[in-house]
Amino acid sequence: MSLQTPRVLPAHLHAFHPSSGANSTHTIRLLGTVSALHGDTATITCGGNGDVTLVLRPDSHLQMGKLVEVVGKVMDLEGGGLGVRVLGTTDWGNSADCDYKIYEKVVEATHKLKSIFYDSNE
Amino acid sequence: MPGEMSASPGGGGKGDLNNTTLRPITIKQALDASQPYPEANYQIDGADASSITFIGQVRNISTQTTNVTYKIDDGTGEIEVKQWIDTSTAQDTMETDDGKGPGAPGKDQVELNGYARVFGRMRAFANKRFVSAHCVRPLGNINELHVHLLEAAAVHLFFARGPPGGAGAEGAGAGAAGDAAMGGTEDYAAQAKGLPAMSPVARRVFNLLKTEFQSNEGLHMQVIATKLGLPMADVQQAIDELLSAGVIFSTVDEYTWAVLEYH
Repeated sequence: MSLQTPRVLPAHLHAFHPSSGANSTHTIRLLGTVSALHGDTATITCGGNGDVTLVLRPDSHLQMGKLVEVVGKVMDLEGGGLGVRVLGTTDWGNSADCDYKIYEKVVEATHKLKSIFYDSNE
Repeated sequence: MPGEMSASPGGGGKGDLNNTTLRPITIKQALDASQPYPEANYQIDGADASSITFIGQVRNISTQTTNVTYKIDDGTGEIEVKQWIDTSTAQDTMETDDGKGPGAPGKDQVELNGYARVFGRMRAFANKRFVSAHCVRPLGNINELHVHLLEAAAVHLFFARGPPGGAGAEGAGAGAAGDAAMGGTEDYAAQAKGLPAMSPVARRVFNLLKTEFQSNEGLHMQVIATKLGLPMADVQQAIDELLSAGVIFSTVDEYTWAVLEYH
């Protein structure tokens, strides 16, 4: 299995929506700080790039204020808009330890240099 | 991790001990790496990549009697990593991997679904590619992951398009075709138009001949070798390549070369 999970920012979610084409993968990676928890959903803030609503799994353990990397699928939210159905999360601790600007550059570089990061039809 | 280097049978490498360059890569690059002939070193972007390093999430850990096998996923692909257990330090290794070590547990311990950095060499067994690791250690800081990905991109561009530089930058290699989205590709493409595919060394020599201040007699091979820090044999090979491509010519003697301007 060679599942690829492109690193993205909230603005790129639409490109990975299931309706965006059959060739496209819908599994993505997002990085953000947990800013709200509501039982089975949560909100993460992605630096200065806006918020994303996550639909959690029963075994997801998120903590307020922590930096998390989310692997998930892009989906439609009931109230409209795009969200991410969580497949897995990785806790990166204090969000002050991460320079989000570097992550933005990583997203930019990974999408420009597909030949070394992701299969080009995605 | 002292002692681990010598601990890996098949990880020691043979015949390529002169090339100790450690190359940062993505797992997709490892999976896409080519082998010019069986048993040869793996090549990425046309350059030998014997020692490699990458960062990914540990998806599986399986401890066997002779090795620990990890499945690593970095978002670009998934590959197996085998770390051989040195019999003399096996006790420590086993304890560390089981997480039962008496000393500093959790510090040097690779966790399932945690991030880890791998240093090793690419190998193949029964047509299955894996990495024979010298060292697998957990990652503490997310910035290291991001910087690694950028570093892998920078090194890829170095090999595919030559060193960074101004207008005199070298022609695009084969890898550039797939990266057409990158800004500035037009400049490179224009450069490459007249320049046939050639080895990175030949491109460096060509670039030097093109940009270095010189009289109309061109540059002596000794000068080229000194400027580029290359052995004479490599320069000779590059010169032969450039000559057969018809982009340079000899001037006062057969050791002095200049660029054939054909624009």
